[in-house]
Amino acid sequence: MRALRLRDATTIAVVALLGVTGPLRAAEIGGRVVDPQGNPVREAVVFIDQLAPGVAPPVNGRTATMDQVHRQFVPHVLPVQVGTQVSFPNHDQIHHHVYSLSRTKTFEIPLYKGETAPPIRFEQVGAVKLGCNIHDWMSGIILVVPTPYFATTDEQGAFTLRDVPAGTYGVVAWHEGSKVKVEDTRQSVTAGAGASPLTFTLEVVEPRVRPVARRGYE
Amino acid sequence: MNWWRRRRLRTKIFLPYSALVVAILLATLWVTGAAVSSWVERSLKRQFDATGEVYRGLMAERAERLLGETSLLAGDFALKRAIATYDPGTLSSVAQNHRDRIGVDLLWITDENGRLLAASGRGADANKPLTALAPLAQAMSTEAPAVAVTEVGHGLVQLVAVPVFGPDPIGYLLAGEAIDDATAQQLQANSGPAVSFLSSARLFATSWPADEREQLFPGSAIGSPALRAQLAHAGATQDAERSTFLLDLRGDRLLSILIPIEAQLPEPLFVLVQDSYDRALGPLAALPRWIAVIGAAALLGALLVGRVIAGGIASPVQALVAAMRRVLTGDFSQRLSLRREDEIGFLAHSFNEMVAGLAERERIKDTFGSFVSRDVAAAVLSGQLPLDGERRDVTVLFQDVRGFTTIAEQTDPRMLVRIVNRLFAEMAAAVEAQGGIIRVFTGDGVMALFGAPVVYADHAARAVRAGLDMLARLPAMNAELEAEHLPALRIGVGIATGEVIVGRMGADQRSEYNVVGDTANLASRVEGLNKELGTALLIAATTAACLGAEFVLGRRAVIAVKGKEHPVEVVEVLGAVPDARQAG
Repeated sequence: MRALRLRDATTIAVVALLGVTGPLRAAEIGGRVVDPQGNPVREAVVFIDQLAPGVAPPVNGRTATMDQVHRQFVPHVLPVQVGTQVSFPNHDQIHHHVYSLSRTKTFEIPLYKGETAPPIRFEQVGAVKLGCNIHDWMSGIILVVPTPYFATTDEQGAFTLRDVPAGTYGVVAWHEGSKVKVEDTRQSVTAGAGASPLTFTLEVVEPRVRPVARRGYE
Repeated sequence: MNWWRRRRLRTKIFLPYSALVVAILLATLWVTGAAVSSWVERSLKRQFDATGEVYRGLMAERAERLLGETSLLAGDFALKRAIATYDPGTLSSVAQNHRDRIGVDLLWITDENGRLLAASGRGADANKPLTALAPLAQAMSTEAPAVAVTEVGHGLVQLVAVPVFGPDPIGYLLAGEAIDDATAQQLQANSGPAVSFLSSARLFATSWPADEREQLFPGSAIGSPALRAQLAHAGATQDAERSTFLLDLRGDRLLSILIPIEAQLPEPLFVLVQDSYDRALGPLAALPRWIAVIGAAALLGALLVGRVIAGGIASPVQALVAAMRRVLTGDFSQRLSLRREDEIGFLAHSFNEMVAGLAERERIKDTFGSFVSRDVAAAVLSGQLPLDGERRDVTVLFQDVRGFTTIAEQTDPRMLVRIVNRLFAEMAAAVEAQGGIIRVFTGDGVMALFGAPVVYADHAARAVRAGLDMLARLPAMNAELEAEHLPALRIGVGIATGEVIVGRMGADQRSEYNVVGDTANLASRVEGLNKELGTALLIAATTAACLGAEFVLGRRAVIAVKGKEHPVEVVEVLGAVPDARQAG
């Protein structure tokens, strides 16, 4: 309830600031991500990277969780708004040694079990590749995006950005296996009634299977 | 050919025999030489192939070790964290540290895009992106370790590139070991032949010492045109069957082979494996020498044996020739004494028989003159007839031509000789028909002997038959003479029988079978009486006493004869009794 109120208040504020006429209720931006052959691309992240002029990004106080289950990061791709605190609970019965050597965020949680690890705050936009120092095949990505408007595509490659205040935005699509720069996927879209669904076409290379992973756990 | 015809038999045997021996020796030498060099070539090639295998083994082992050790380094979390600092100073010290840790010639660290972060050992080519290096490019595209032989800073390096995962590639480790002279020397130490690494552009490394290196590869260039051609050929046909070739090194022949090496270079890389052909032939070089020595000894021995064999043939032949020459001059005393039973022995034996036969014939001719009947000659040759002196009862026949002096005066001498020869032929035939021998030709008559040397009991009858035969032969002969307008001849025949001495008489070379005794004189006188009595055939009473009823006898007369104390009784023979032999 509190969140809703906050969102409503923000919307009102945005509308008040911009003096935009028309329906002031939040809109949804939907669409699909497909590859050049038209096949759905799953686990792509679609997010707004440019707010409408005058629209301030909402204050981020949220947390997120990158779980470790059966010697895998779950989810494999975790989009978070910049400033989000991510916790790394370990639900396996063995130790893990979570680290990132990405320039976006370099950190390390030395060997630990359970939920003892302190959360990490991600304050820079970009992809943070996660690994486990003692399980080479474990691989996860935390995608730090600038706005709270993001979604991960489902099996059909479909996504929906919810609660987007009315306005014109730049929307981009990212995928682990895409070689295209995120900025180059940007589409401009005006949120509101009658907005047509977006389609992103990304050429995706299947992530390589690490040689050690073949011997890894299921 | 004239020269050859004039050579002695010994030379004619020697020369072809020696030529044959020399030819066999040369052929043996040639075959041995060919077999030996082919064997050496094959064994060197096998050795070269072994060197190729050793090289591949060495490279594989080094690659394995490089990959293993570099992969271990790349998995080191401390290294990953160090790379994530992207601090050049730190990374440079890490590169140094880790190079020492695994003991390689170079260790480089790049970022995830292949940009060099730090280098230790051999430096990278400043104006060439590292991603141009094949192993790095491959590792970046496959995210898996890669290894290749490539050129770094003008040297050959076996280079591995291993991605550093964090967990995606955050960088690459490149580790390399030089393929340098030391590598080549190690290869040579392990396998034997000299080893060089080269492409058509230049020499990279070699196990040859400095002098030979400069000779073969002046200034690291491929100096020899032959080698350049081989490189070009091998480069064009990489998969073709490798074949050996010879290169010259200060007069020493090097058997060489190019073995292609997988490498990432603009030009194909090869290992040139070489060994001295002549040195490999060395232990076997003595072989032809020994064959030559043995061959020379065999030749000498063969010549000696040939000389003995040739002598065995030639010397009896020469003896034969010498003996033959003497026989030709009339010396029939020559005999060859060869104790052999081969063809030469047969030849010598035949020669001896032939000369003995000639000698006998000569002796008979000397003894009896030309006119000896075949039977008499055979009897004399068989040795049954003693030719020594002995007393014999014989019958002697004299024949004479009437009026021969007048005929001789009136006739052309050549014609006369023809007439006389014609007459003698008939007279001799009559004598021989009865087994007598012509003792002497008297110019217009003959003296013939019956009963010696061949003994005939009926020598008197034989003589008379011969006389009748002489007379019987005259008409036909005279008819022929008259046809030739020559004078006809008349003859008288006288015969006497009695004891005489016969035997070979006279000096050695001129001895004759002669008869001595009164009977011969008597026969001559009896013949002379024909003229007085007008008869043709008169015989002494001694002869008549020996005759049977075979002959028809005519008048008898007792006549004083010159030189005889008593008158001689002679009987005219008119002819033979028809069918007397059958009747008698």
